[in-house]
Amino acid sequence: MQKMIEVKHLTKYYKDFKAIDDLSFFVKEGEILGLLGPNGSGKSTTINCLLSLLHFKNGSIQILGREMKPESYDIKKQIGVVFQEVAVFEELNVYENIDYFCGLYIEDEETRKKYVEEAISLVGLERYRKFYPKQLSGGLLRRLNIACGIAHKPRLIFLDEPTVAVDPQSRNNILEGIEKLREKGATIVYTTHYMEEVEILCDRIIILDKGHIIAEGTATELKEHANIEEKITVEGLKLTKDQFENIRNLKNVDKVRFVENVLTITYKSGQNNISVLIEFLRNHNITYQSIFSERPTLNDVFLNLTGKELRD
Amino acid sequence: MFWHNFKYSVKTLLKNKILLFWVFAFPIVLGVFFHLAFQNIEKNEKLKIIDIGVVDDLQFQNRSIFKEALNTLSEKGENQMFSITYGDEEELHEQLEKKEITGYVSFGKDDVYLFVRKSGINETIFRYVIDEIASNEKIINHYISDGMSYVGNENVDFNMMIQNMMQTIESSQGNIENVSNENLSYTMIEYYTLIAMACLYGGIFAMVIMNSKLANMNATGKRTAISSLSKGKLIISSLLASYIVQLLGIVLLFLFTIICLKVDYGHHLPFVILLSFVGCLGGLSLGIFVSAMFKKNENTKTGILIAFTMLGCFLSGMMGITMKYTIDKYIPILNKINPASMITDGFYSLYYYGPNKRFFFNIISILLFTIVLTAVSIREIRRQKYDSI
Ligand SMILES: Nc1ncnc2c1ncn2[C@@H]1O[C@H](COP(=O)(O)OP(=O)(O)O)[C@@H](O)[C@H]1O
Ligand SMILES: [Mg+2]
Repeated sequence: MQKMIEVKHLTKYYKDFKAIDDLSFFVKEGEILGLLGPNGSGKSTTINCLLSLLHFKNGSIQILGREMKPESYDIKKQIGVVFQEVAVFEELNVYENIDYFCGLYIEDEETRKKYVEEAISLVGLERYRKFYPKQLSGGLLRRLNIACGIAHKPRLIFLDEPTVAVDPQSRNNILEGIEKLREKGATIVYTTHYMEEVEILCDRIIILDKGHIIAEGTATELKEHANIEEKITVEGLKLTKDQFENIRNLKNVDKVRFVENVLTITYKSGQNNISVLIEFLRNHNITYQSIFSERPTLNDVFLNLTGKELRD
Repeated sequence: MFWHNFKYSVKTLLKNKILLFWVFAFPIVLGVFFHLAFQNIEKNEKLKIIDIGVVDDLQFQNRSIFKEALNTLSEKGENQMFSITYGDEEELHEQLEKKEITGYVSFGKDDVYLFVRKSGINETIFRYVIDEIASNEKIINHYISDGMSYVGNENVDFNMMIQNMMQTIESSQGNIENVSNENLSYTMIEYYTLIAMACLYGGIFAMVIMNSKLANMNATGKRTAISSLSKGKLIISSLLASYIVQLLGIVLLFLFTIICLKVDYGHHLPFVILLSFVGCLGGLSLGIFVSAMFKKNENTKTGILIAFTMLGCFLSGMMGITMKYTIDKYIPILNKINPASMITDGFYSLYYYGPNKRFFFNIISILLFTIVLTAVSIREIRRQKYDSI
């Protein structure tokens, strides 16, 4: 399988601040690669370096098998980018904005017309063709932003946090749109700090923190890093100190946290953990509102690797 | 793709209401104000003998050509133009303050300094005549320095020369009179500064378009920077668009002043147009320069550009021609590097002397200004090739 992107030992400084530290990774053709990391971990910086928008100190970047440079117009022709910030012209309406950016790649007018229409329907902006950006809500604006980036049918697409601050409806629309792009064969690099999104969407995930890669693999592979098997949460209960100690000593229990009437227990392994716990609570006459069991999430992976939460 | 970008660039510029106000509407509104103001002045002032002063010192005594010319022009009779008071600078200044004289001249070794209190028709005639004598003096002195003494030289008849000069001046007095009846010639300088202002304001278009197309200035710039349209083509087609829109504004301004305000730009309309188109280039480069050199947001940059243009126009005589003369006298370098002044002076010399050396000197100055600013900007843009997003 062809490597669409190959990054080796990328290091980027802003003045004295090291934003990217010896980053190496690759992206295979046809996959969706997720770059997951908290705010400030260097996702946007990585993308800007890949696109030759930023000058970097060390490392090499190959896209489509060739070195990427500011004047690599033949490579750029095959790339589509959706930046984190909305980048559209206030003076142009929805259709014109998409047409303008598409026209920077597609010369033929007939083809372009077709492509623009397809982009409009991909993001579901049919009813807003003649609207100006000022008239669009945040979510619709994000969709326009995406349409502008992908209308020319690029082989390789970068999406930088396309769902930040977006209403749920637009968010679903955006995620569906990305699925469709993948079905049509595009290779996608997707950055986000929402772990649910990478779990649903991405074939492979790279977790970034402070410009480092701290883990890499499929969602299932990564969860092995979580070092837990199960997490049980009990909400709305009161515990004495003795009871808390007793729970800590139950079978398989790894860590116990009790904060604001919420009990969180993580287990290294084992089965029937939840029934053992329920029985303990009943025997001690402890009442609670709800109890549920979860498989580990990427947040637990991140927590385990860095000692802090993924979410801000 | 070049024309695609061009087309959309024109479209975005023409839809930006703030830009349209500054570049299209503001000069027209100002033009209407000028027009109303001048109508009043026009009614109050008639051509009569003008009271002027001459600083009578050694320098003046050495300027025989000026002496004779002024003598002729103040001889009592039908053709008397001036009534002259001779005195020292202090006295004359006092008289000027008391409005007893329209203005006075004093002489340096080679220069002539002219002092007036305001801009009016008399002041303009005074200025015109002094300019005229000065340029004739140069021609005559040129002959002299070629080794021909005019006294007793049969090849050069000094008296003939003076007479010719007087005739020109007198016939142009008729000219001034005619012009003043329909269209005050001195108000022209104000319209010229207006056009200069419109030319330079046009730079806002270039500035905005550069901001929106270059990666380190704007989000849309990042988009265009990663597109497959080369940076050179992108910038040139965008700037071409902004230049065309700029010219459109100038043409509108001309049409409005000619048709609605009945401004007469004289017989040299093709050169007037040439100069304003070159002036627009100056504005364009100013826009590029402000865009490239100032790391500020767009409103601040617009402010910088407008302030610079206003100041330039003020110094070159927009609010009264006295300012232009004063600057020309005390800080000539300022108006040599002030693009508004280059444009205004180009128009001024065109109006009075036709497309002569001074006119083309101004054209070349503006072109030089354009080249220098553009070169500096290109260097800066290259330098920040990709950094500082
Ligand atoms: N232009 C810049 N100048 C200086 N520091 C920057 C600049 N852009 C980003 N940074 C810093 O680099 C780090 C990574 O930023 P960024 O790539 O935007 O992170 P992310 O996209 O993951 O939120 C952050 O600490 C941020 O403060
Ligand atoms: Mg980011």
